[in-house]
Amino acid sequence: MSPSSLPQAKILPATTAASSNVSLERQLVRNLAQRSDRPALLWLASWLTALAVSGYLLYLTTATSSTLLFLAAALLLGSILTVPSYAISHECAHGTAFRTRWLNETCLWIGSLLYFEEPYHRRYSHTRHHTYTWHVGKDSQMPFDTPMTLKGWLLEISGIALVIYETKVFARNALGKFSPQTRGFTPENTLGKLKWGARACILIYATLIILLVRGETWVWTYLLLPRLLGGPVMLLFTLLQHVELKENSPSILESTRSFTTSAIGRWLYMNMNNHIEHHLYPQVPFYALDKLRQAVENQVPPPDKGFWRTNLEVLSVVVRRSLGMGTKARGLRQAAHMVVSAAEAKKGKTSPFAHKTTL
Amino acid sequence: MATQDSEWIFVDTVDALDEEDFMRFDHGGETYILYKVKGEMFATDGLCTHEAQHLEDGVLIGHIIECPLHQGRFDIRSGKCAGGPVCEHLNTYRVKIEGDKLFIEL
Ligand code: FES
Repeated sequence: MSPSSLPQAKILPATTAASSNVSLERQLVRNLAQRSDRPALLWLASWLTALAVSGYLLYLTTATSSTLLFLAAALLLGSILTVPSYAISHECAHGTAFRTRWLNETCLWIGSLLYFEEPYHRRYSHTRHHTYTWHVGKDSQMPFDTPMTLKGWLLEISGIALVIYETKVFARNALGKFSPQTRGFTPENTLGKLKWGARACILIYATLIILLVRGETWVWTYLLLPRLLGGPVMLLFTLLQHVELKENSPSILESTRSFTTSAIGRWLYMNMNNHIEHHLYPQVPFYALDKLRQAVENQVPPPDKGFWRTNLEVLSVVVRRSLGMGTKARGLRQAAHMVVSAAEAKKGKTSPFAHKTTL
Repeated sequence: MATQDSEWIFVDTVDALDEEDFMRFDHGGETYILYKVKGEMFATDGLCTHEAQHLEDGVLIGHIIECPLHQGRFDIRSGKCAGGPVCEHLNTYRVKIEGDKLFIEL
């Protein structure tokens, strides 16, 4: 029997390299997917150092009377706290950050608590995001309406959408009243983990609130305020992953975006700007994504140019869409149905919603 | 695991597998993986029990095979789940070498 005959039919189709017509030699992928603790431990040490330094800077500003300096330092700490907490939570949900399992699981908890999602829910909902990337009704991580409007952008980037959605998930899961979506991606015998995970998280968040109410102002100064201010920075990173791209495509090349960013951006985001590459081969850890990018370079679209530039283009598109204007971006990669020309817009043409969130 | 009706099926010659290596083997409409770790041979089902992805594209980390799609982990010696989103064990199979030939008991 040929290796790809009958058993192939039993393999569940998922959005990966195979469904995107991308292929690399199996041995090369295996080599890229090799695990080591060292890169993530070095990254972790650099993160903790950056947190300590930016935390100290914030402390220094508390001695000045400048609110602006204080807020700038809080934003700096918040960005360093929040973007990496998302990134490490994501990498550890995959289990690819460290070779050693307990390091992965510990960092999954810390990262997810800071990011504001129960760790097991994070892991299971993310599996569905990989199986059905950007498929309406199947992908459990499509947080905003597509095509995106200015209202959707504001809800997303402010963090309001995230807080509302995750608060509901915490409450439901802690009570054991799982949504059909959660039941859809979580094996029945694992729901208990999600319930107790949600309860543990609520206990930790409640403890922080009680400390704050009892006058422990450090909770606000060094944790809550920076987390709130850093949230939009994190969400500007995550927004770029799929916004303006095609829903319901088997090809990751059509549904997902990679973008270039500075060394600091790549460090904060653990190289997840190589997002197409990550979805093609999710078994490859963050520290090998640059090599993977080079390996698939001639099979994937070029990355969009720059974190700020790409975000400004997205914002420009969503503003124009909300004003009933043309939505063709200059450099941003967009799915064909996202684009309405200025002439069509004048005649009242709009892109119908492919996906509506229920907040 | 093998039953009374099981039989030894020829897979390949032993040199088909390097040290710390694994390969796919299809037989009778089913698919399997054979592994060589520290000189010992192991065999499991080929499809992950979570969402039926083929483990031939996975990562071998010591005695752990990790699924390529969501990184569910199994111990290849017992087939038991060893982390990630998986919660159903893999079946394991006996492997033997005769001369330079590799067999799996199915
Ligand atoms: S398909 Fe293997 S872990 Fe999900």
